[in-house]
Amino acid sequence: MNLDWLDAFLIFGAFKVVEIMGLGLLVHLQLGLTRVANFGVVGFWGVGLYAFGVAYLKVDWPFGDVYQFLVCAAIATIVAAAAGLVVGWLISDLDDDGTLVGTLGFATIVVILATTQQGLTGGALGLGGLDFPYDFGRVKTHEFTWLLITTAVVALIFAYAWRVYRTPHGRLLIAVGSNEALARSLGKSATAARLRMMMVTSGAMGLLGAMHGVMVRSLEINSLDVSVTLAALAALILGGTARVFGAVVGVLLTVALFDIVIQFYIPIPDGWNTQALPVAREAVFGAAIVLMLIFRPQGLLGQMRRPALMRRLHGDW
Amino acid sequence: MREQAVVNSDGASVTPAVAVSGLSSGYGSVAVLYDVEFTVGHEIFAVLGANGAGKTTLLTTLAGLLPAFSGSISYHGTDVTHLAASESARLGVGYVPQEASVFPDLSVLENLTVGGMIGTRPHDERLEEVFETFPDLRTKLHLRAGNLSGGESRMVACGRALMQDPTVLLLDEPTAGLSPLYLELFFEKVAEIHRTRGVSIVLTEQNATQALGIADRVMVLSLGVGSEPMSADAVTTDLLREGYQI
Repeated sequence: MNLDWLDAFLIFGAFKVVEIMGLGLLVHLQLGLTRVANFGVVGFWGVGLYAFGVAYLKVDWPFGDVYQFLVCAAIATIVAAAAGLVVGWLISDLDDDGTLVGTLGFATIVVILATTQQGLTGGALGLGGLDFPYDFGRVKTHEFTWLLITTAVVALIFAYAWRVYRTPHGRLLIAVGSNEALARSLGKSATAARLRMMMVTSGAMGLLGAMHGVMVRSLEINSLDVSVTLAALAALILGGTARVFGAVVGVLLTVALFDIVIQFYIPIPDGWNTQALPVAREAVFGAAIVLMLIFRPQGLLGQMRRPALMRRLHGDW
Repeated sequence: MREQAVVNSDGASVTPAVAVSGLSSGYGSVAVLYDVEFTVGHEIFAVLGANGAGKTTLLTTLAGLLPAFSGSISYHGTDVTHLAASESARLGVGYVPQEASVFPDLSVLENLTVGGMIGTRPHDERLEEVFETFPDLRTKLHLRAGNLSGGESRMVACGRALMQDPTVLLLDEPTAGLSPLYLELFFEKVAEIHRTRGVSIVLTEQNATQALGIADRVMVLSLGVGSEPMSADAVTTDLLREGYQI
């Protein structure tokens, strides 16, 4: 595959867009559907990244690239899902403020562990040696292929989010999110439904973390940055927390704008890309969250379910 | 808990649908109900009282959404005092709260179907029965429940509780804030639900006149203390004045 026409940085920009879109969709399921205000997205993502990296680099696996990736990615997903289950249980009786603090605290613990457990994680120096589970010869081809694979994974997350609205489990989650006390009187455990959702979404965040590790081919403590959470939340709040397409639209208007459009297609002075732009990006994301919450809290796409969708969902009824 | 029983129309002693004994409950460390005691058979049992009497606290506790400080609650002889609300629901307890009684982001149809997540009878059969009781809902199925009027919301909430195939229905001031048109309709519907479905109903109300019109027995709750339950026919204006403290 001849990819000379494609800028390597553009592949990374697109990867970031796809990755944050995936995280945004998962936050949509937590915040928009179930009303769990997870401010520790980077924690679950980071658990996946580091579980994958440690499993990949520290265990002497008796099989080759593809199986090694699959097993390590499965470990990352399971560890992140288990973290989601534990954190979800710990915050199950807390209000929104408590949930925000609890999840933020979890993300902080992950960063501290990744920094201090140097024997496993490499600490502040990080660890290199992660690699793609295939070998086509050229690095750019590897990265482009990985972008396509990650896009397929995010498409599956989108399909899951799209589908869950049409299932009894999804309706129960909406019920739990909008009125937990009333939902408890329906004969189903609201806590169990919420924990299941936390487990599934946290596991998927961990998988995206593992896929990030492969793309950057290293474990870097700097990647466990609040900007991951901020980007996912800003995109979702801008697009609309309660709509599946909210994360998609939001990411296109935020991450894609900065990491692709401005970075590659707007002539900006040298040096801005590495210094001024990242700072401006965070500031704009933060401002977007504040402005949207004040002036249009339901986001650009509006409320959760509109009559057209309901008619479609109900079919013959 | 002492043995409790109610007498049915044939004079036989049967296990009550609801038995509440020495029930105290409240919020945090603040008690709102004190030593409430009553049984409910196959009947409409009205709990009357002024604002702040503890009616909502009583029903919330009966639904399992608020823990009891002391005392016991049982449904058809099964002690549910320490069971979660979801467990009580599976035992056949339907609950319609006074406020926030529907899931606003779900459509009317979805509000009804989430009520039918438990039970074994086919959904469609149960839905048809709900539409027989509340025919107006049939034309509003696609509407977002959050956009309904107060009366329509109560119908959806009652319909959702009926989808659970309850044997006991807890209705917390179902007519509060409704227009006179809906008010009359609702009391008729409550009586119809009891008559046609054989559901025991515990109903809290401020509107004593209307409630007495459909109730078999009544308890007046005053500042968290319940009166001795009595036949609805035996309730006098003086008794109500005393209970309502007016």
